[in-house]
Amino acid sequence: MSDQVLVSTRKGLFVLERGDGAWRIARTSFLGHNIALALADPRDGNWYAALDLGHFGAKLQRSTDQGRTWLECAVPAYGEGDEVVTGDGNPPQPAALKLIWSLEAGGATEPGRMWAGTIPGGLFHSDDHGASWELVRGLWDRPERQGWFGGGYDMPGIHSVCVDPRDSRCVRVAVSTGGVWRSDDGCDTWAQTAHGMFATYMPEEKKFEPNAQDVHRIVQCRAAPDAFWAQHHNGVFRSTTGGGDWKEVANVLPSVFGFGVAVHPRDPETAWFVPATKDEKRIPVGGMVVVARTRDGGKSFDVLRDGLPQQDAYDLVYRHALAIDASGDRLAFGSTTGGLWITENQGDHWQELPARLPPVHAVTFANA
Amino acid sequence: MAKVVLASALSRWLPGSSDKPTGEVAFEVAGTSVGEVLDGVFALHPNLRGYVVDEHGAVRHHVALFVDGDAIRDKRTLTQPLCKHAEVYVMQALSGG
Repeated sequence: MSDQVLVSTRKGLFVLERGDGAWRIARTSFLGHNIALALADPRDGNWYAALDLGHFGAKLQRSTDQGRTWLECAVPAYGEGDEVVTGDGNPPQPAALKLIWSLEAGGATEPGRMWAGTIPGGLFHSDDHGASWELVRGLWDRPERQGWFGGGYDMPGIHSVCVDPRDSRCVRVAVSTGGVWRSDDGCDTWAQTAHGMFATYMPEEKKFEPNAQDVHRIVQCRAAPDAFWAQHHNGVFRSTTGGGDWKEVANVLPSVFGFGVAVHPRDPETAWFVPATKDEKRIPVGGMVVVARTRDGGKSFDVLRDGLPQQDAYDLVYRHALAIDASGDRLAFGSTTGGLWITENQGDHWQELPARLPPVHAVTFANA
Repeated sequence: MAKVVLASALSRWLPGSSDKPTGEVAFEVAGTSVGEVLDGVFALHPNLRGYVVDEHGAVRHHVALFVDGDAIRDKRTLTQPLCKHAEVYVMQALSGG
């Protein structure tokens, strides 16, 4: 059970701690600066913060004392001659790091191994806690990458990296937009595995093209690693075969649009979503913030609203801003208007953080 | 020697300065071009390089360099020559909220 939540916001990193049954802001780091996301490495307790400084680029900092002090690490870098070629007709551009869009710890057998998914579409790994990074050429050099394009950003990006707990060489990543990719050999070779997904926004002949799928987020069940859930641009999909052969889950209430998804770490049938009015609006349905939960693999959904704003709410929850702890009982999510809610009973009741936070980009548990 | 001045928005990211209010910081470095004097500053503070230039060595889009009051025109090659006591001012573009 985790008593610590890291909240990455437009104006700093907020560390929340639980005391006497209530959650409060214990301390802050980088106050005033734009934090894209944070990670608490469960293997060694190191914390990482990815900064998006705009003027000065994407940065990475590491803390070995739970955010009291930080040391700057290296960031992923593209080489001379690396180009971003996209499938949307825009001219090729030199590849340069725009954003660290996902950051994950390697497997238990690989101390110091880190993964970073970036905009403009490169996957990087580090074997020294972020002190140096290497571009995963096996994926970058795939010709299909030239068919990727930007989802919410101008360039494509890797927002989800799932390291198989059974075998650290088996890695899945998801791309907006570029489908889902899988490597079984430590990232030398890759295969597209978004089959079964469909894109209603594409021309009819491209609708089922795996490489054209705008996947918003994928998550993998820790105890049943063949089970994946995906929040996609036009729906929710589920895989029970290791991240391929995706099946649509069409009955998410109150809508199938959203960004975040969480799966219970031990029960692959249980997952959570934060739905919104689709695409062109991106606000809660009816001005009410709700969480959708299934306990039966998507056959049915509960709409959870106890403790959440049910009137005049315009909170959107980004793809990294819904998190679950290792117990599977505690979840937290934060919104673009600075709302932050935590549940300790799988969403039956939510506690609102008594704070007006800056816009929330990402939420994660520490000490899970 | 040229004088390189870092605006406070940049100097706050020097090691040990993070999250603390800082003012302008100036360095005296040798060099006969913009690129050479920047390299001189980066030798003193290696982490600063990634804040001023991208991984290809081009000055970042939202960073501006002024040589004796005039903005440099070529942000990629940085070969612009400097006079003996030039001042290179490194600042951020003004934007955001």
